[in-house]
Amino acid sequence: MSTPVLICDDSNMARKQCARSLPDGWPVDVSFATNGQEGVEAIKEGKAELLLLDLNMPVMDGYEVLEAIRAQDLETMVVVISGDIQPEARNRVKQLGAIDFIKKPVDKDKLTSMLLEYGIIDAELLANKEQQIIEPQVAKDKPSKAPELNKSESKDSIKELDPQLRDCLQEISNVAMGQAGDMLARLLKVFVELPIPNVNLIEVSELCMAFASVEDFDETSGVCQGFIGSGISGEALLILNDSSFGDMAALLNYKGQLDDSAELEVLMDISNILVGAYLKGLAEQLDLHFSRGAPVVLGQHCDVSQLLEINNQAWQRTLAIELSYAIEDYPIKCDLLLFFTEDSIPHLAHHASYLLDD
Amino acid sequence: MIEQDDQLKEFYWYIDILQNVDVGLAVLDKDYSIQLWNGFMENHSGHHPNSTKDQNLFELFPEIDEARFRSKAESVFLLQSSAFSSWEQRPYLFKFKTYRPITCTAPHMYQNTTIIPLVSTTGEVNHICVIVYDVTEEAMYKLGQENNASLNA
Repeated sequence: MSTPVLICDDSNMARKQCARSLPDGWPVDVSFATNGQEGVEAIKEGKAELLLLDLNMPVMDGYEVLEAIRAQDLETMVVVISGDIQPEARNRVKQLGAIDFIKKPVDKDKLTSMLLEYGIIDAELLANKEQQIIEPQVAKDKPSKAPELNKSESKDSIKELDPQLRDCLQEISNVAMGQAGDMLARLLKVFVELPIPNVNLIEVSELCMAFASVEDFDETSGVCQGFIGSGISGEALLILNDSSFGDMAALLNYKGQLDDSAELEVLMDISNILVGAYLKGLAEQLDLHFSRGAPVVLGQHCDVSQLLEINNQAWQRTLAIELSYAIEDYPIKCDLLLFFTEDSIPHLAHHASYLLDD
Repeated sequence: MIEQDDQLKEFYWYIDILQNVDVGLAVLDKDYSIQLWNGFMENHSGHHPNSTKDQNLFELFPEIDEARFRSKAESVFLLQSSAFSSWEQRPYLFKFKTYRPITCTAPHMYQNTTIIPLVSTTGEVNHICVIVYDVTEEAMYKLGQENNASLNA
């Protein structure tokens, strides 16, 4: 009898990675859901004796799924698999009824030993090495993968981002921002809310639109830091709205008057944590090494549009990853934007292809 | 024994620091073949140390003015003393991108370079080290000021 297992994650790459991490020789019937709502439907259809659940999803997130399971008394065992590795996130999902928590990317041995521990699989069964894993979706997705990435490499100018590369970068960013968020949470002793990273190829003219969300705040300050390595170069830009400084400084235990230089220190500290942790996470996953330049303050207390009136001629298109961090119970919002130069994209695709290899 | 361990530890620290310091380091022999290439050079040039080892500097980097570089380097081999080049004379030795490709207006990295002699145990100089400093910020500031001055004049 095969066990119905449901993998609920918005990222295609994460779903595949998760399916590959299931113990060998375990007879399972795997189904997939791309958001919480689909997930809940699938549970109702009895497709989830075991549910492997992501937290960060559109439509309905993992917390809401856990609440729905509890409210509707649905029968399933939930293991949360998430890039959000804050201790608080772990506590919350356990309180909501998840049996355990595994960080992304999923470690096969860890998942196996956990399933053994909870008696979901037994050791005898694993010794019996027959492969009966049914992964219709995974199998279907396989062939198209590699050639697509190569295609975008051969083009001189890239008009559109390969959907697989986008998905891959989004998932990698998700894990990397989770690591950065965890650092921030530990430092400030707060719970950091992590939204879904936004990955886009944007034109210079569109860049201002990408900032529209930040524009709501009157004044912002930004720090930017360049990075380069293995043919990939770009910049990380951290934007903090000025109204956040007071709270942020209080959380960081800054004593004394909060003048411009103290604010600058807060900005530098936060940017160093977030940019450093994000780039470290990204580099580790893609097996790269970056040199980081010294951070540069772009503007203190200026309009965002002014902040962006930087340099328009030198580049045409950029791969942008937007991450917005918010801190629960505080009106603090900071945006981390990563811009990769256009000529970095083929190199990113090349390194990402190792992750997509089955 | 403990002293040796400490020395070894220090040695590894030095290696780690040289690999990660935000300054370019390249060791060349008398034929201008690359013998050592640190992390800064690797990351900014896109050439891995394995692919630069024993490669001729001028073949790998055609942007380098060979005659000028040679005359400068020969003096280091001969006189066993350092030679310097400032971004104001020559904006760069290696044509690298700026560290901040999006928000920096510079078309390339401005560099100061220093060539130092590496004296062998027998007292000869068979190798030199090229040290590359990124001075883009300083150059942009100065060029900006000069630009303003000429506009006001």
